[in-house]
Amino acid sequence: MAELDDIIHQPLRLKIMAALNALPAAASGLEFSRLKKLTGATDGNLGAHIETLAKAGYVAVEKAFVGKKPQTTVTATAAGRGAFARHVATLQEIIAASARQP
Amino acid sequence: MTSIDSREAASALSDIDSIVHRVRQSRIYDLTSLMLILWGALTFAGYLVTYLSPRHAGYAWIAVYVTGTVGWALISASNRARSGIRSFDIRILAAFLLFVAFGIFSSVWLGHFTPRQMGTFWPIYFMLVYTIAGLWVGQAFVAIGLSIIALTLVGYFYIGEAFPLWMAFVNGGGLILGGLWMRRS
Repeated sequence: MAELDDIIHQPLRLKIMAALNALPAAASGLEFSRLKKLTGATDGNLGAHIETLAKAGYVAVEKAFVGKKPQTTVTATAAGRGAFARHVATLQEIIAASARQP
Repeated sequence: MTSIDSREAASALSDIDSIVHRVRQSRIYDLTSLMLILWGALTFAGYLVTYLSPRHAGYAWIAVYVTGTVGWALISASNRARSGIRSFDIRILAAFLLFVAFGIFSSVWLGHFTPRQMGTFWPIYFMLVYTIAGLWVGQAFVAIGLSIIALTLVGYFYIGEAFPLWMAFVNGGGLILGGLWMRRS
């Protein structure tokens, strides 16, 4: 059986990756404020977990100014999308294996 | 290595499903809010012309529909460039034209509606679709649709000469407020 990805498995990081993977690969990612709303996380907590995902190469973080307002956009990388797909497949395998047991 | 049982795995998958649903709903709301604000402003203008200069109402409403359809295509093209999601294609345009054609068939050819009945029929007809769509894509659509339908009927039965002005605020204003509300939710 494949292994669970320890980086993605943490609940908030799982939500972040799920949100980013829900977008098409061609999409421009999600703004920090939108991710915060979707995950229900605080600024500090969300920032720390995004940093962990970025260090693993699972997300790319882009900071820019829209007018005078700073805007942070987070996008899932190809490696991140692959890792997330494997993680989901492993979760499904765990459930299927459990169902097969007598 | 992390090890979990099937219950925890099911819970994680359920969390993923829930987030995916919220992301999709949020993107639908993003795009729809712009459409609502556009159609709200145009509808407001259409009713205002109908109230101030009833003779020109027909031209005003043709202009509303043409401008709205072009604006819809432009917003969708901009959204596609930004998000990679296509939201306007020939089938959607065909569905919209069929919808409008059926409305014209029912209200003009079949029903011979008076201008007042027309002003009541069209918002209810459009809002019915919003309400039905809301059963799948989000409660905001249901709330906006039912509110505008109810206020339109109030106007039809209780508002006199100022009915087009009432509808400018109820239908046009309602769509704009609905769009702004969606942007915040």
